[in-house]
Amino acid sequence: MRVLLLSRRFTDGEDISEYCKHLSSHLVENGHDVTIISFEDETDYSVDERVEVKRTPLHFEGDSLYNWAMMLNNEIKRVARELEENDSFDLIHANDWVTVPGGVTLAKHLEKPFVVTVHSTENERGFSGEHAPLISELEWQGAFEADRVFVNRYETMQSVLHDLDVPDDKVMTVDPLEHGWESRILENYKEVLNRKRKVSN
Amino acid sequence: MADQGHEPVVITYGEKEDTEHREGVEIHRVTSTDSASDTLSWAMHLGHQMEKKAVELAGNHDFDLVHAHDWMAVSASSGIKNTLDIPMVFTVHSTQKGRDGIDSDYQRAIHNLEWYGTYEADQVITVGREFSEEVKHTFDVPDDKVNYIPNGVDLEKFDSHTNNLNYNDYALDWEKIVLFVGRMYPQKGPGHLIEAMPHIIDRNPEAKFVMVGSGSTDHYRRIARSEVDEKVYFPGYVSDKELLSLMKTAEMTVAPSVYEPFGIVPLEAAACETPTVGSYTGGMKDTIVHEYTGLHTYPADSDSIAHQVERAMNDPGWTDWLGDNARERVEDNFRWEQISAWTTGIYSKAVKR
Repeated sequence: MRVLLLSRRFTDGEDISEYCKHLSSHLVENGHDVTIISFEDETDYSVDERVEVKRTPLHFEGDSLYNWAMMLNNEIKRVARELEENDSFDLIHANDWVTVPGGVTLAKHLEKPFVVTVHSTENERGFSGEHAPLISELEWQGAFEADRVFVNRYETMQSVLHDLDVPDDKVMTVDPLEHGWESRILENYKEVLNRKRKVSN
Repeated sequence: MADQGHEPVVITYGEKEDTEHREGVEIHRVTSTDSASDTLSWAMHLGHQMEKKAVELAGNHDFDLVHAHDWMAVSASSGIKNTLDIPMVFTVHSTQKGRDGIDSDYQRAIHNLEWYGTYEADQVITVGREFSEEVKHTFDVPDDKVNYIPNGVDLEKFDSHTNNLNYNDYALDWEKIVLFVGRMYPQKGPGHLIEAMPHIIDRNPEAKFVMVGSGSTDHYRRIARSEVDEKVYFPGYVSDKELLSLMKTAEMTVAPSVYEPFGIVPLEAAACETPTVGSYTGGMKDTIVHEYTGLHTYPADSDSIAHQVERAMNDPGWTDWLGDNARERVEDNFRWEQISAWTTGIYSKAVKR
């Protein structure tokens, strides 16, 4: 299986980067291919050398994280589409709202299964910034479009169920502090892929 | 373009999602959000909706190219270009720098997006000849990527319109209407015209100034009334039809803009055989030919405006002749058939990248 992971950043020590790092190492260890696309912030990163990492620059600073993220996704789409030309992805996995627009558009266009990990929701973070409603809407969209939603902990599960109205059979807590969490994600990838294949057959 | 054998699909904003087919053009409206705190984030949200619509349509449309207009469409068109792998053309109608500056983070972000559009685009179109230079300079775009194509005028719309103006709604029988059409903002220069008004009235008491447009209307009305009292009239909202009647009836239009990449008013007035007294700036350098289709004034110079309006007022025969020439020049140079042919020429250039 060939998995596309989308993350705002990919750098040592940052939570979501570490999540992607451990997950992708496990996947390549089990014979799968992984590509991570994120923003080129010139920081250091270390990861299993079998994992393909594409960090893209963005010539747009913007006045806010929201506007910046929307433009970053346009670069993510370019990189993903170019990679797809050589070798097709089987599944797209976005992380948090920042990579939802790119993940959703790519999944629709390339007709791929789509999963998202909601590391935390805007409601959990206080829903306080000026773009909170737009960010929350992206979280909702990501969960709505996803074939499966992963959360890391109980509180996020509650928020995803009640604030984002995600049906409970679609969302699953996979705690990245628990042993073997990566294989649970992999099992879910397989399940989602099989389900899609059955539908298209 | 549809008439010329192309298949244009327009994606734009709408209050609700719908699809319309109009004269060979497929129009899709997508909704945006009510919860955006400003226009920039609203446009970003809209851009994502537009892009998803384009991707959905790409399932049964084979798009050759995406054409974006101004910064609000840059996010959508970049996303469409990158996802569908098609060339992009970007038309710059005006710049943030020219409109109201790039002093705040918000303004700089818009400026950055405009730059991004010119950077991403395979070809750039600008609506004014002088404005092309501004765009090249401001965004550092290579010469061979920037093209000048003016806006056009739909003459049919003007010719099929019957002038049924109730003259006395705007002026007394012996008065002559001097018309301003535009948003009431400093960029459009209504203040300079207002400053010229008392001087014009001194020598040409028959002048009656009619100021049409939205914006800071109350502000400008207060100043103008204090200058020339009942010799100026702000009618507020005016329907398109009423505006055509006004343009056909007016002695002249005045376009005192300080910054005007293109400026459609002189051409619309010309379609009505009405000459324009306009600032020698931006697009009006091309859309007005001094002493042939209208009169040029120095920008932001009320003495110059007063002088040229008086010249036109004092010689009605000459003013008629200017109006006839203006109309003829629009017929020869600013028809949409011509403009769209030029535009598809740029498309071909972009597709061959």
